[in-house]
Amino acid sequence: MRNEPELGVLTWGVIVVVTCLILYLFERVLWLVVPGLLALVGYYCLQPLVQALVRAGLKHRTAGKVVTGLLFLVTALGVILLLSLATTRAVGWKTVTAHYVQGGLDFLGKTEALLAEKLPLMERSALVRGTPTNLHAAADRFVEKYLGRLLLQMIYWLPALLLVPYLTYFILQDGNRFKKYVIRSVPNAFFEKTLLLFDRVDHSLQNFLVGLVKLTFLDTACLGLGLWLLGISHPLLLGLIAAVLAWVPYVGSLGGCVLVVMVAATDFPNELVTIYGCILLFICVRLLDDFVFLPLTVGRSLRLHPLLSVLMLFLGAAVAGPAGLLLVLPVLGVVAVITETLGQILTDERLRKRYRHARQLQRTMAEVG
Amino acid sequence: MKSPFNFLRVSANDQRIENLKELSLFKRLTARELRELDELLHDRLYQKDEVIFDEGDSGLGLFIVRSGRVKIVSSHAALQRLAPEIGPGDYFGELALFEESQRTARAVALEPTQVLALFRTEFFSLLERDRGIGVKILFELSRTVVWRSRKLLANQPHLPTV
Repeated sequence: MRNEPELGVLTWGVIVVVTCLILYLFERVLWLVVPGLLALVGYYCLQPLVQALVRAGLKHRTAGKVVTGLLFLVTALGVILLLSLATTRAVGWKTVTAHYVQGGLDFLGKTEALLAEKLPLMERSALVRGTPTNLHAAADRFVEKYLGRLLLQMIYWLPALLLVPYLTYFILQDGNRFKKYVIRSVPNAFFEKTLLLFDRVDHSLQNFLVGLVKLTFLDTACLGLGLWLLGISHPLLLGLIAAVLAWVPYVGSLGGCVLVVMVAATDFPNELVTIYGCILLFICVRLLDDFVFLPLTVGRSLRLHPLLSVLMLFLGAAVAGPAGLLLVLPVLGVVAVITETLGQILTDERLRKRYRHARQLQRTMAEVG
Repeated sequence: MKSPFNFLRVSANDQRIENLKELSLFKRLTARELRELDELLHDRLYQKDEVIFDEGDSGLGLFIVRSGRVKIVSSHAALQRLAPEIGPGDYFGELALFEESQRTARAVALEPTQVLALFRTEFFSLLERDRGIGVKILFELSRTVVWRSRKLLANQPHLPTV
């Protein structure tokens, strides 16, 4: 049970400003923040396994090594399996992908024709004239316009993503040791409150991840139900893929929508209403996600008011773009906890007095010695 | 000089586990359980006359004396009459492990004192994942609480001893 007073308006102002500053900085070093965040996710997922091995009799460091070794082995096996599958079924996959991409392109072509028919003014616009109608043209255009940029982005992100298992390993191995080391350097007077601070930060991060899992579950349920009602094949699988892709703001949601539209356009090539229904469903779920589900799951997990969560999402996007959207709630949660606890420490006259007393004792000891 | 990166060094902590086993609170724990518990213990060093916690503080954890002596001082008459001194192997502040209430006494180091601290929320997380360790520690804690309550009641003229 916590009996601390509610945070004041001024404190919340400080929290919001500090959150924005951190987001601004994070956006500048995104190559380090993203692997750090993924490593934390890995840590929270693997920590129970390490603890289970410790309970089975292994030392903590050995358990950490075993779990990360297993993770590496499973990843390597997965990659080998995927590669072998890719070589044997490459032709089949290519055909299926081409089939769905062509379905999507056909849908675009039909939409263009419809737009040109209903709105003659649109006929000459770049929007209507710009879309390739067959797969080869689309592939050529993709290679010409986007492939170089995509490869550059991959080269930029690959080393950063390779950091993820490395960071996860060290957080698992030395996270607790590092925490104890930091706490040891804190003066005795503030020791208990610092422990409380670490505990609250840890809970905030855990709650954020739990909130994210709840959000994914809700998104999957809504999208799956909607797609099932529209008669799309594999609604739950498509809903799950789209919900997981939505972890990456904007780009992920767009990717999920394009995927579902391609499937719908291929399954129902002559039913434009169904395809538009899919797009409408995505827009509705997106809005629900941003304004209802996110504040109620992630926001509530972090003990943030739904209105504040929504406002902070806008602010996060304004300060740091898509990265800001993804990071704003966990950063806000952690900053709020740190500010609240630091405020308690700094305004507690008893603690400050005890700290001064300890310093005085130290000085006396040094003089006597 | 101590390296600033000491935390990265793999320590041979078997001796430490042996030392923990000698503490009354942990005497029932196995070496494996002590290793798991040791991850949660925090070492602190207090100077002579330094206040460890004060009456009225929000209690967040339990302290176990490894070396040195601690004096417990309270404004409550009954507690003050007991005026216990805690020595190596004993512990104090145990009520903070059960609930987040205010400390009922002040703990002051009578000489340079080394203590181990066990934080309530970390102890609860241990209870959730390994009830066996929790039961053993809670059993020892309960014995101490009962013993201290009896002693307290024995000093109260108007209350029967239970």
